Amino acid sequence: MYDLLIILSLTALGYFAGGWAERRHYRSIEKREQELLHIPAISMKSVPYPGEEVAAAEMVHGSAVISIDYFKRLLASLRNIFGGTVASYESLLDRARREALLRMKESAPGADLFVNVRIETSAIGKASGKRSVSCLEALAYGTAIFLEQKP
Amino acid sequence: MKYTARQPRTNHNVSPVSPIRELLILLGGLVASMVLIYILLGLGADLLVQHISPQTEQKLASFFGSKKNPGKGQSMEEQWLQSLVDQMETKKCVQLPYPITVQVSPSKKVNAMALPGGRIVVLSGLLKRVRSENEMAFILAHELGHFKHRDHLRGLGRGLVFAVVSTLIGGSDGALSGLVQKSVQVSESSFSRDQESAADRFALDVLNCAYGHVTGATDFFKHMPKKQDPGALGHYFSSHPENQRRIKALIKLQRQKHYHEGKRLPLPIKEGKIKKSASSP
Repeated sequence: MYDLLIILSLTALGYFAGGWAERRHYRSIEKREQELLHIPAISMKSVPYPGEEVAAAEMVHGSAVISIDYFKRLLASLRNIFGGTVASYESLLDRARREALLRMKESAPGADLFVNVRIETSAIGKASGKRSVSCLEALAYGTAIFLEQKP
Repeated sequence: MKYTARQPRTNHNVSPVSPIRELLILLGGLVASMVLIYILLGLGADLLVQHISPQTEQKLASFFGSKKNPGKGQSMEEQWLQSLVDQMETKKCVQLPYPITVQVSPSKKVNAMALPGGRIVVLSGLLKRVRSENEMAFILAHELGHFKHRDHLRGLGRGLVFAVVSTLIGGSDGALSGLVQKSVQVSESSFSRDQESAADRFALDVLNCAYGHVTGATDFFKHMPKKQDPGALGHYFSSHPENQRRIKALIKLQRQKHYHEGKRLPLPIKEGKIKKSASSP
């Protein structure tokens, strides 16, 4: 009985606290994305400028780790039964990827563009067979290009 | 042509669904399918129960703790209860494929249980409320009725089915399976109304066979305080608050079968001690 109460309160906590953290995070992401919107981050392997215009190139990365909560996990385990889109995890991945990309951009102040940008995702803290709440990491990396003359 | 970088208006990577709505739909679907599986497999278990041999039942019994040898290590109260059961068996009022052992378990609850492997567990709370030998004999005979009709296995079958289903769905260590198991434990199923009525009818026959009359059969239901908390009473009352119905059914059956009233035998137990030969047949 007490275990049931504990599970229910953790789920409620996940819904309210997790939801609050998510809304707050999205506000921050949207604000910072708007600020960094003028610097392109592209997946091309080549630099669309002649070599002599490039002053410096530097490998940069940014990573973000987001934890799931009990509510999202409950929704996902219910989804595991019936199949379909696991909507509760989608926002986690979306947040992690965008946050990682933002951190990558923020790690190279003054860069004019980022080329060869890649995003990778991995689950961490996922102990199989144990009841643990795992989290996921998104890593964004690429090459920051600094030009001689600002375009 | 001038290109202006801008943000997409909507987030295409996140499905626009309300999490609460999704939870309700999924939980509703889960509960509905669990109920369906429970009913179907429960029916299957009921069919299966008829074919479980006494040997298999003995094996199942080991899951519920070891069985004491009759007569060895039994307390005075247990010996008295055992003698009542043995008496019914030697008079051939009850015929079961295996010997029955009676055990007394300390608890404030007023209840008695029929467990697989021929074990009757009487809670000490019930012993304190009983006022005559006939009354106690009726309760024991009622439990014997559950053995006769194999109700104890039926209840087990459903429970097992539920445990198996939840493990299959969520995995034995999933959050969901924990949730299901907890809620199953909370709403621990009891015998159904029909099963109780059948055991009552059986007990009345046994009582008449063993004592030659049926006095004391309805005593226990009458002794219970009317506003007793039903949760504390176990399967005698919690699953059926309609004691009056059971009393009436017993009296009606008594008239139909022309069973007589007789003398109530006093309890051999006084303040925890047993008077010798008070319960000899």
